[in-house]
Amino acid sequence: MTRVRLRKIESFIALSLCSLAAFAGIFWLFFILGDVIVHGASALRLELFTNDPAPPGIEGGGLRNAFVGQLLITFFATIIGVPLGVLGGTFLAEYARGKRIAKLISILSDIMVSVPSIVVGTFVYAVLVKPVGHFNGWAGAVALAIIMIPVVLRTTEDMLRLVPWTLREAAFALGAPYYRVITQVVYRGAAAGIFTGVLLSIARVAGETAPLLFTSFNNSFFSINMNEPISSLTATIFQYAMGPYDDWHSQAWAASLVITLFILLVTILGRMIIKMRYGGK
Amino acid sequence: MTVKVEVKGLNFYYPGGVQALKNINFSVYKNTVTALIGPSGCGKTTLLRCFNRMHDLYPGNRYEGEILLDGRNILSKNIDLIDLRSRVGMVFQKPTPFPMSIFDNISYGLKLRGIKKKSVLSERVEHALKQAAIWDEVKDKLFESAYTLSGGQQQRLVIARALAVEPEIILFDEPTSALDPISTAKIEGLLEHLKKSVTIIIVTHNLQQAARVSDWTGFLMLGELVEFDATEKMFTSPREKLTEDYITGRFG
Repeated sequence: MTRVRLRKIESFIALSLCSLAAFAGIFWLFFILGDVIVHGASALRLELFTNDPAPPGIEGGGLRNAFVGQLLITFFATIIGVPLGVLGGTFLAEYARGKRIAKLISILSDIMVSVPSIVVGTFVYAVLVKPVGHFNGWAGAVALAIIMIPVVLRTTEDMLRLVPWTLREAAFALGAPYYRVITQVVYRGAAAGIFTGVLLSIARVAGETAPLLFTSFNNSFFSINMNEPISSLTATIFQYAMGPYDDWHSQAWAASLVITLFILLVTILGRMIIKMRYGGK
Repeated sequence: MTVKVEVKGLNFYYPGGVQALKNINFSVYKNTVTALIGPSGCGKTTLLRCFNRMHDLYPGNRYEGEILLDGRNILSKNIDLIDLRSRVGMVFQKPTPFPMSIFDNISYGLKLRGIKKKSVLSERVEHALKQAAIWDEVKDKLFESAYTLSGGQQQRLVIARALAVEPEIILFDEPTSALDPISTAKIEGLLEHLKKSVTIIIVTHNLQQAARVSDWTGFLMLGELVEFDATEKMFTSPREKLTEDYITGRFG
């Protein structure tokens, strides 16, 4: 009897500690979210999306340049990063399956996931900014792409491995060459999972600031020229939050809200696809 | 009776030199069903997978000897595997529908062979589904996912997919071991009907099934073909003591 009671007490203590830890994490998440929503919502105006910034110190203006720049950089980062990640993951899960090189690349890719993003920024600075002579949008896109690649690669590899091996054998048995087995059968089986990985990787890089500071830098004017410095929301938030004007601060809050909601939306979408495809787990 | 496939002195080695088949010799006759039976691990699936060179997917496997398909050795280096596999189809233990519609599943092999014309595709798809006795169940949902079908239906769908490319031989690897008795009966009935147009080699754990569906039976043990004979003879008066013991259930 006492043994059972002792166990129940232990269980209660463990449960309490776990709950407390979870609560501590969630509390700060909601605190930050709440803060961003309260400050951001009050500063959110339509002009934010339609106008370019006013000269420093003058009230009004918007962040059209930053929204457009952010979209451009993220778009090109996706265009560069996703194919490389997907093809890399395909190599690991299919062509190099069971080989030592696959294990090695897999480990290196995992290490790359945890490389601080500012290191990626400085690397791209050395490769794509210094030789060119000035900051440019492409460098920003490449920096974000480099951060995306290991994320996409890992998800692709995992998702392809989930496709039962017998399915490939069945396609081989019909006389299909390997590349068609992969593109027509295996990719279809893993499509939802890979797409989710892509979404999550976009969410991952959309909030990055550090790699952009050294690469695409910032631009106070509207520009869609990727060869020149280009504005991004995150870099603008950084600049405005550091700036001396109250108007800048409130615009930074609004921009923070928008980008937070964007990331939240993309993440939720990704999770929903996983749930729809792989059942409620 | 014409010989469709002749296996001559076949040895097979898995990586590391593990010998899984030892000097196998027998003939498969055209438009018959040949069953391969034997206890687990005896090499019957290994033998089956030699006929479409499935072992080539994995490094380190090695064949010795000959398998003559219409007189041509399919184990020789210069055999085009894609061509071979379009002549020798395969149905697996578990149903393997592709993640696409029923129609696309059946037309997959046809498209691989460069058939693109819509009218030809739908005609061949319908024909294959009818041959596999599943047309009536799927004709109203051809463009729905193949995963909406039951296990037994999926297995017949996969048979239809193999049939669509009009192979000369179809290999069945325990095709009913994952199915219920009713689905099993349907597939067994199908085999009887199919052998008019194709030659069938089937691996089965189920001795009654071998006795019911096959014309010829090969009994394997520890990688050796102990006995090969007409099914009727094999199940009534086997030559070998070992075969008799296995068939009467004394081991296995």
